[in-house]
Amino acid sequence: MTQKIDSLILSVPAVSPNISIEEVGEYFLKDEFKALLSIPVVEAGKPVGVVSRYQMMNIFIKLYGRELHGRKPVSRIMNVHPVTVSSDQSMEEASRYITRNIGFPITEDFIIVDDGGAYTGVGVVLDLLKAMEHQLVKHGKELSVAYNELKSSQAQLIQSEKMASLGQMVAGVAHEINTPLGYVRNNVELFRENQRQLSGLLGAHGLLLDALHAEDPDDELIMERLAQIKKWHRLDGQETETLFDDTFFGIDQIAELVASLKNFSRVDQAMADNISINECLDTTLKIAHNTLKQKVTVVRDYGSLPAIRCMPSKLNQVFLNLVTNSAQAIDENGKLLIKTFTKDSFLFVVVEDDGRGIPEDVLPQIFDPFYTTKPVGQGTGLGLAISHQIVEEHGGAIRVSSRVGVGTRFVIRLPLDGAPAQHTLVAGG
Amino acid sequence: MSEITLLLVDDEERILRSLAPLFRNQYRVLATTEPEEALTILRRETVDVIISDQRMPAMLGAELLYKTRRISPPTMRILLTGYSDLGAAIAAVNEGEIFRYVSKPWNAQELRDTVAEAAAIAQQGFSGPACLPTETERDRVKVLVIEDDTKTMDTIREITRDGCDDECELYCVDNLEEATELLRCEEIGLIVTELRVDEEDTISTIKALKRYQPNVVTVVVTSYRDNMALIGLINEGQIYRFLPKPVSRTLLARSLQSALHHHRLLRIAPTIRDRYTVLPSLEERQDMLPARLRGLITRMRRCSST
Repeated sequence: MTQKIDSLILSVPAVSPNISIEEVGEYFLKDEFKALLSIPVVEAGKPVGVVSRYQMMNIFIKLYGRELHGRKPVSRIMNVHPVTVSSDQSMEEASRYITRNIGFPITEDFIIVDDGGAYTGVGVVLDLLKAMEHQLVKHGKELSVAYNELKSSQAQLIQSEKMASLGQMVAGVAHEINTPLGYVRNNVELFRENQRQLSGLLGAHGLLLDALHAEDPDDELIMERLAQIKKWHRLDGQETETLFDDTFFGIDQIAELVASLKNFSRVDQAMADNISINECLDTTLKIAHNTLKQKVTVVRDYGSLPAIRCMPSKLNQVFLNLVTNSAQAIDENGKLLIKTFTKDSFLFVVVEDDGRGIPEDVLPQIFDPFYTTKPVGQGTGLGLAISHQIVEEHGGAIRVSSRVGVGTRFVIRLPLDGAPAQHTLVAGG
Repeated sequence: MSEITLLLVDDEERILRSLAPLFRNQYRVLATTEPEEALTILRRETVDVIISDQRMPAMLGAELLYKTRRISPPTMRILLTGYSDLGAAIAAVNEGEIFRYVSKPWNAQELRDTVAEAAAIAQQGFSGPACLPTETERDRVKVLVIEDDTKTMDTIREITRDGCDDECELYCVDNLEEATELLRCEEIGLIVTELRVDEEDTISTIKALKRYQPNVVTVVVTSYRDNMALIGLINEGQIYRFLPKPVSRTLLARSLQSALHHHRLLRIAPTIRDRYTVLPSLEERQDMLPARLRGLITRMRRCSST
């Protein structure tokens, strides 16, 4: 991919050091040297110097210069330290060497030798510049292609990380729904059975009523009807009432779980005004309930927060990530503190657990993409990197402190006046 | 007949409140949200059937049922869960040795039937492992290994050669056709099987075998991880152990040893055998069994009736 300097070689004949200055002057007038600033001087195949048009002019424009110096060998005036590069050098390498060593103003071309040091030709600085420019443009294009690829693959990674954590959570919530669904369904079956009882009972009552209303009441029939009614099971009104309460409670719970899933997975990634961070945290905790309930006691210490402008679905992703990490750091009987408060013009969210903690040598790396301590398949290693990025997009910051065996605390700081709009982000670099 | 006691354990009291009316008319119903309290009850009195939730803050259902098995072996154990995680189902088989795995939400009538079945079995009484296999039962058990992975096969060969060569006779096959053929001709006592061999599913065979030859004990050693399949294998196949690959040699050896013991127990104690009654499989109910398996079932039926 990298271009070599040999692509710039002009294979012009060199002159010998013994040739006279006058003759060199003739050479400069020849067509093949027209484009050159200088003529190489070579002895026994190796370059020994270079003589420039500039030097020649200096001699020839002096009064009697030509007569005085014309017959002298060129070796007397040539530059014995010509800028020489090897033909297998890369364009960049050669270019660096040439710019460092060529004199200013530029009066000479550079000499190109093969790996044995033998003269192969000359190169013109202007050609080198053109080639370098060409290469820069090409690199620029490649860079921008690579940048675009990187950007889109990063977006994909963020999405897949979100889907991975969301997938786990959806599975969790789906299971969570099964509990209320279980008793709601069972209660409804009980109600149906009760209803059958009731309609049977009502029928029996109707028959009794008929017997009572008969023009000539038959005591025996009335007693029989009464006995029939007694045979029906007694329904416990209080219990039925409780089961109804439970049923409605269960249905509300299912509705809440479904709503939290919907909130969480909001496809609209756009900025929204008036978002309550406390509500976002509640949604996240509801979603994570299944992961947490086994071993974690959640303590919520919410301050009163003003609504802010943010991307709720992205922040939910951050909160879920932190909460899930905490749950994973806790072996059993842990505590998770979620605290929010405002200070100056910022809003703070603290997620603190008393889990295993993060070793000191690992701590600086936790926000690095693909850094993970979890076994293969259990983490993408992107969670915290993405969280970091999302918080920064919101003009905020995320900090961590941790001690092994004591716990970990993440603090997210968000500006109260909302995240900067997208264009100012770009403009601000 | 003494009153049958049913113990319900779930951390959601609404579940308990909902279940109680379902059973109150037929059984004495005890209910608690605390697994520890359930254990106290089990120590204190006779419980015929226990239904436990899986995910409870204080203790997992599989663990509770394992402890139940230790405290009160005759108690029939049912897991009622809304979470379908494989780990829980595996623990429920290997440790809880559960009778049924019921998913939430459940069907009221089916749950009633399941409990009625468990209760009837519990009422038959339980002559525990006190009656040890006699001399005649100590003949070599025919063990069929259905496995197309040579590594696992070799490990099983080594284990049986080292540990229980005098106790069992090994038949090794790597496909279902040969397995079916062997099952027709030989009286197999223990099956060690992968769930997929040679691109064929062994699940239906495992289920049919347990249904028509209840003495057969199945140990599944598999790299196939599917919770739904495992639930089916519990309810319709009453598999004895489920060991996900890679399986340690020690665990495999221990499982085989206890499976052999279990098989001998089933042969001599019909009341224990009933404790592992299976539901007819869905494939069988819908008449969707492969011809080869139907042939085998017909033959097994003939044998068991003679």
